[in-house]
Amino acid sequence: MFRTPLVIATALAVAFGLGILSSIYALRATVGFGAITLGPWTAFPAAQTINADPYAKAHRARDGRLLLGGAEGLVFTAATDSDNRTLAGNCRYEIVGITPPARLWTLHATDRSGNPLPGARADLPTGLNAWSVLRGADSTFSIRIASSAVSGNWLAVPEGRAPFLLVMTLLDTPTAGSSGVIDLAMPGIRRLDCADA
Amino acid sequence: MRSFLYAIAIGLVGAALLHIVIILSLPSFTGRDAYTRVQSLGEANRFYPLADRAGDTLAPINDDPAMKTAVCTFSLENGPVRLFAEGDVPFWSLAVYDSASNEVFSMNDRTSVSGALDTLVATPIQLIGIRKAVPQELEQSILVEMRGEEGYAVLRTFVPAESRRPAANASIADASCEPFGPDQ
Repeated sequence: MFRTPLVIATALAVAFGLGILSSIYALRATVGFGAITLGPWTAFPAAQTINADPYAKAHRARDGRLLLGGAEGLVFTAATDSDNRTLAGNCRYEIVGITPPARLWTLHATDRSGNPLPGARADLPTGLNAWSVLRGADSTFSIRIASSAVSGNWLAVPEGRAPFLLVMTLLDTPTAGSSGVIDLAMPGIRRLDCADA
Repeated sequence: MRSFLYAIAIGLVGAALLHIVIILSLPSFTGRDAYTRVQSLGEANRFYPLADRAGDTLAPINDDPAMKTAVCTFSLENGPVRLFAEGDVPFWSLAVYDSASNEVFSMNDRTSVSGALDTLVATPIQLIGIRKAVPQELEQSILVEMRGEEGYAVLRTFVPAESRRPAANASIADASCEPFGPDQ
């Protein structure tokens, strides 16, 4: 007697349950197709354009961020180190190398949803950029990311075990327009050590 | 048993349809897309510098410590809008977006005419009128053809060190985003 309603209820439950869950999953997992991936770094050069795919448009509408235009620059985000381990606040990392061609670049750390991490104190270096970084003789740089002070280029992240993202913004870069044409290389992210306490 | 398998198969088809509908219609329903958030800053035709820390409001925040960002919403209903800024900053960039947050135009200080920002945003019809007889004050300006009438402009300046912050703040405080009238 209850067989027909039960069958209809099953169909509806599957449709709405899977439909909603798959949409949420797709929006969490991705900012759309068309990504440039260089080692651990990912960028979406077309996410702000009218030609962005529906997933990218839905994602940016839900996120509500001000994206960089094509002539402004390109934002690379890293959630893992070069060995694919999630970046966490209790580890120390080192970024070594040079950036793809760009006039300027900036580097800072954010939480998982993309908000910049505040320093424990106001005067800690929570951001580095092309002007403030110290370079070697061959113009490469080495940046240490740690919660306690280190020598050389230091990017401060808050203490704790919270995962974070590294965001490197290349300003006025040809990278945005020519994905794959130029042989690009982003600096690697190496894990130095972790405090397990 | 078989009818349950049918039910699940129909459910899967429905789930796929629902997924497509949700993804395609989401941009109109989120209520927190960039244009809505920018509008919550206040009245149009003014550059608002963004706060560094998230407050209780919807307003977007300055999401890079080495950049200072200001946003201006505008409507071209009553005429074109002129964006103007100059200042002693090592880098600035401008992006103009339509109300769906699609990029319309972007530039930086190297692509500007004299190093200063001087841009006129207008609808295609308004631009035809302007191009017929370019007013003297617009001779150096970059003319931008806008998609739709509503939109917003994002002005970013590079702040490499704290000592450069006053200059960047002054440059953004002086930036204008005003309607352009032919008799002004």
